[in-house]
Amino acid sequence: MLGPILLGTAGVSLRPPTLAEAQLLQRMQTLPETTRFWGPRYGEYTAAHVEERFKRLVSGESSVNWSIHLDQEAVGFTGIFHIDWIRRDAETGIFIGRPDLYGKGVATEAIRLRTAFAWRELRLHRLHNWIGLANRGSRRANKRAGYTEIGRFEQAWFRSGEWVTEWLGEARNPDPQ
Amino acid sequence: MLGGVIRGKIATLRVPTEADLADYSRWMADPRVRRGGWVWHEPAMLATWKERLAEIAKDRQQVLWSVDEKETLVGLCVVTMGDPEQSDAVSFDGLVIAPPAQRRGIGADAVLALHRYLFDYLHTRVADAVVAADATAALGLLERLGYIRYARGANVRYREGARVDELSLRFDRATWDERWAPSEREYQRHAPEAAL
Repeated sequence: MLGPILLGTAGVSLRPPTLAEAQLLQRMQTLPETTRFWGPRYGEYTAAHVEERFKRLVSGESSVNWSIHLDQEAVGFTGIFHIDWIRRDAETGIFIGRPDLYGKGVATEAIRLRTAFAWRELRLHRLHNWIGLANRGSRRANKRAGYTEIGRFEQAWFRSGEWVTEWLGEARNPDPQ
Repeated sequence: MLGGVIRGKIATLRVPTEADLADYSRWMADPRVRRGGWVWHEPAMLATWKERLAEIAKDRQQVLWSVDEKETLVGLCVVTMGDPEQSDAVSFDGLVIAPPAQRRGIGADAVLALHRYLFDYLHTRVADAVVAADATAALGLLERLGYIRYARGANVRYREGARVDELSLRFDRATWDERWAPSEREYQRHAPEAAL
């Protein structure tokens, strides 16, 4: 599924992504500046593959996907994935494709909007995610939205000469119906 | 993907076939299996099970095995191999043993044989598993094997009108090497070069 428009503060909004944005955001995922904590930086980087994947996102019933906009520009994406409608639990993720925006609060606002949607519109009970422990900005942004640590997975993956520990967090709906 | 043969002392993991699917479907509908906390898909008509078998056979990461005891089908298990960034890590998704075959040590034997294959044959660095906090049999089996707990999610699962916590566990190769490697090997060591 594609998510509805969610208007935030400071020019940040979540919007249903377009195919053109999906193409742009994939190019952003090929950059060393954006992938320290993201992906192997190789893959099926073709327009046809992006289109196929985009169609799956649109038709899938276990995820909600957004582009993150700053003013009129798509600068990243976020979503609620692997939704288990019985447990009312899901995984979340976020990618900001413009490194010059790191530390400017864009992710914090996007996560706030996404989390509120999960509670108020999807009536989910719990959200969880995995974040590189050294990715302090992402952890901070998620903590502000209510995520707390439930464990760490040491030596999850190896990058640039060192092991990366993953931080496992969860957020609970403060007002489950 | 479909898994090849892995032999335990009493259990054998082998390539699943369409002939196994009616039993799969019956197990997944069995409340005793569902109480254990993991099923591989919901009950369905046979045609759907055939589609699922075809899908997992093509999947690049998930591997399915049927489990036999003396050439009789008694279970199934699934693991997910690591993605490119974690190619030496494996997720042990779950094991189902048919209720009439439970409490005979088949599950423990199958899981030990599976992990021997993962650590000794594939040289896996770490395996992880997720289980319901009240699944005492599964937890005991995993912890006796060498899994340790590293995370606890609160009230994650929902069944029978109540929520239950979920535990995440990991099993590192160092633990395997210390605890099991001396006695559990896929093959005997090569003879010293001088003797070849």
